[in-house]
Amino acid sequence: MLEAVHLTKRYASLPAVQELSFTLRPGQVLGCLGPNGSGKSTTVKMLTGLLQPTRGVVRFDGHNIQEDLTAYRKLLGYVPEEAHLYPYLTGWEYLELIGTLRGMDRRDLAKKIDSLLQLFSLHPSRHASIGSYSKGMRQRILLIAAIMDDPEIFIFDEPLSGLDVTSALIFKNLVQTLGQQGKLVFYCSHVLEVVEKVCSDVLILRKGVVIAQDSVENIGHILGQSLENTFLHLVDDVDTMSVARDIVTVMKTKAA
Amino acid sequence: MIAEAIDAVLFRWEKRRQRPFWRMVYLFAARIFRGGGDSDAEGLDLGIGLVLTLLAMPGGFVSILLLNKYGTFLQWLRGQANVDPLLVALPDEYFFIVLSMTVTGAVAVWRWDAIFPDRRDYMNLVPLPISTRTIFLANLVAVLFLVGLVAIDVNAASCLLFPVVVGATQSKFLFFLKFAVVHALGVLLASVFAFFAVFSVIGLLMAVLPPRTFRRISAYMRGVVVVCLVALLCTSFAVPQVLRYMPAPRWIALIPSCWFLGLCQSLRGRAGPVLTELSAFALPALAIAALVALCTYVLGYQRHFVRIAEIADTSAIAPSPRTSRMGALLDRLALRTPFQKAGFRFVGKTLLRSETHRLVLTAVGGLALVLASQALMDAFEGAKSLRQAALSADALSIPFILSFLIIVGLRMVFEIPAELRSNWIFQLMVDPERQECEGLARRVILILVLPWLLAISLPVYAYLEGWKVAVLHTLLAITWAVLLTNIVLIRFRKIPFTCTLPVFKQHSFVTLLSCCFGFLLYAVSTPEFESSALPEPVRMLSLVPAAAALWFIPHYLGKSANEIERRLIFEESPTQTIQALRLSD
Repeated sequence: MLEAVHLTKRYASLPAVQELSFTLRPGQVLGCLGPNGSGKSTTVKMLTGLLQPTRGVVRFDGHNIQEDLTAYRKLLGYVPEEAHLYPYLTGWEYLELIGTLRGMDRRDLAKKIDSLLQLFSLHPSRHASIGSYSKGMRQRILLIAAIMDDPEIFIFDEPLSGLDVTSALIFKNLVQTLGQQGKLVFYCSHVLEVVEKVCSDVLILRKGVVIAQDSVENIGHILGQSLENTFLHLVDDVDTMSVARDIVTVMKTKAA
Repeated sequence: MIAEAIDAVLFRWEKRRQRPFWRMVYLFAARIFRGGGDSDAEGLDLGIGLVLTLLAMPGGFVSILLLNKYGTFLQWLRGQANVDPLLVALPDEYFFIVLSMTVTGAVAVWRWDAIFPDRRDYMNLVPLPISTRTIFLANLVAVLFLVGLVAIDVNAASCLLFPVVVGATQSKFLFFLKFAVVHALGVLLASVFAFFAVFSVIGLLMAVLPPRTFRRISAYMRGVVVVCLVALLCTSFAVPQVLRYMPAPRWIALIPSCWFLGLCQSLRGRAGPVLTELSAFALPALAIAALVALCTYVLGYQRHFVRIAEIADTSAIAPSPRTSRMGALLDRLALRTPFQKAGFRFVGKTLLRSETHRLVLTAVGGLALVLASQALMDAFEGAKSLRQAALSADALSIPFILSFLIIVGLRMVFEIPAELRSNWIFQLMVDPERQECEGLARRVILILVLPWLLAISLPVYAYLEGWKVAVLHTLLAITWAVLLTNIVLIRFRKIPFTCTLPVFKQHSFVTLLSCCFGFLLYAVSTPEFESSALPEPVRMLSLVPAAAALWFIPHYLGKSANEIERRLIFEESPTQTIQALRLSD
């Protein structure tokens, strides 16, 4: 079980996340929603141990993850928001690097990489440098790197960005399957439909504070509307239709 | 009235600058300076101002240092009367020509991938309503503008200061003026020639090779050009001496810098027959280089840029089984932990594939090769036989020169970051408390140095001097290489290429001086001692206490480091001016 207990992170004196608490149980897929600057990425970085919280702790099976980060990270598969990879390594070499750093058996590693590359349709370009990969290909490499050691906890930060329709569908089904297999999945996204479809629970952040946390069904029931409308209701007071109309007006404007 | 005129000119210039063509010229000029290619590297992305300042610095520094040589008071103190400044200035003139060629050539090699428009330009510009011919012309104008800018920038300080320094002994202003104009002409033309020569090499390769082969060969070709530039720089000490001999050797005509020296001396009316003959090459060579560059640029543009959409973006070549077998062998013999195995491959691939690292390492390797060749030539000078030459201090110094520069060069290269934003994976996966970085760096250095020491030094000396001398010499070279590696890795606590660039510290000068002093001890004094001791091998034992001390010091310093000093870092913190004492802790 992964627990975030009163997590607070301040940059200088500005709070990015305040008093964030939640529990992630095996089999649960927790979606994290929030507009830009709501503290999603900071939360993810604290959950992965990349950032130390200013206050509060992240516990896994009752132990503070900071006590033995290496052991915790062995159980963690993480897909960051941006696909920063070494462009001069090939896809195969990058995955081999990750697998070796994770201490995977070399024979299993080669087989696993090969199979996963095939399943993610990257096998033909496995020996091409990552620098020449499209955004979607880089994202698939990150996904493979996160899942190939069969970790217990998955933290996905905008995992679908750049993926084509087929890969995105495969991935959504994969997340659901991982949940069914008892893995812990923390899923950050802007795409409400995906969160609605793949997550069992949802956490909505605004300006670093949790403003709603419940199962996807309950959150919708509370306000009697879809997740998208609930989200808009909770987070932003913006009339999206009127903004869209204004954009079209500006597009048509010509200088006098 | 004047203000209005200036405003009108500025307004017209601003209007012109906003035209699509000039916007593209600006875009290409900025791209050439800030980088191109596939990488989004930020490692050595310096600002244009800083780059220009750095390029101008060598010429300025050298000119100032020459004050010592040309100062009239100092000449009087040395008892040098009636000195002919034009004769005395010849070696320095040659040095400035070589310096301008080397620096400009190095800029062309550094920006090799960015000179031609690439896939990114194609994807951004071609869909716009601009013809590919306009893109071609805009890039050409940007390249020509930068050639001029770099040539002027590299030589600006020397064009001003060097004539002032030389002319200080003369009372006539005309002498200064004439000297300055000829010097400026010589170095500027040499700079432009160097740029076009490198440009021609790229263009020729692009015109001749298929895109995929070009991409693969390009890296090695740049290495060759860097070695040539380092070799050219090294001629600055030898060529002026050679030119004094009559008749000068024929190979001197193959060195382009001599042509421009000849041109300068001819314009001053002080060229001998050799320099007059050499000066005849300068302008035709420049014209040919420019013409070849332009023609190959057109061809390369047609073959590569216009057809980028047809060329596959990815090139997939499987690694050879030989490489995999070597990796497996290293895993079994030298690399124990998963971190070492992964780290070694990462370091090896970065050294081979990252543009910046490869170039720096090639420059160091080129310098090592040039110094080693010089030592080899010195060894044969005056030697009666091959065996006698092999036992001279010069010949014995070759493995020491090579290993010193490679070890120090690798240590330096480890500090240069590669794709810093991608180091999150190491931050996520490597335990900062377990200090394996030093072990990894040591293994990388020793694996890159020791095998060739064994493979070359041992059989060559066994053949020439017998097994006893061969074993002693190789053992000494290996021991010294291991000890030097330990010294350069004292308190090394980063994964190579994953940490920010080191900040300048007060002890940086001391480190630089220690390097120079270390080179003298390592590659000059040791071989001299060895040369004298090899006839009586027992004397070699006197090196044992020194070796023991050199082993103990890094070992002791490593052990005495506290937890914080051992912790793995990904960011260099600047030296704090004020530190809290934390007396209550």
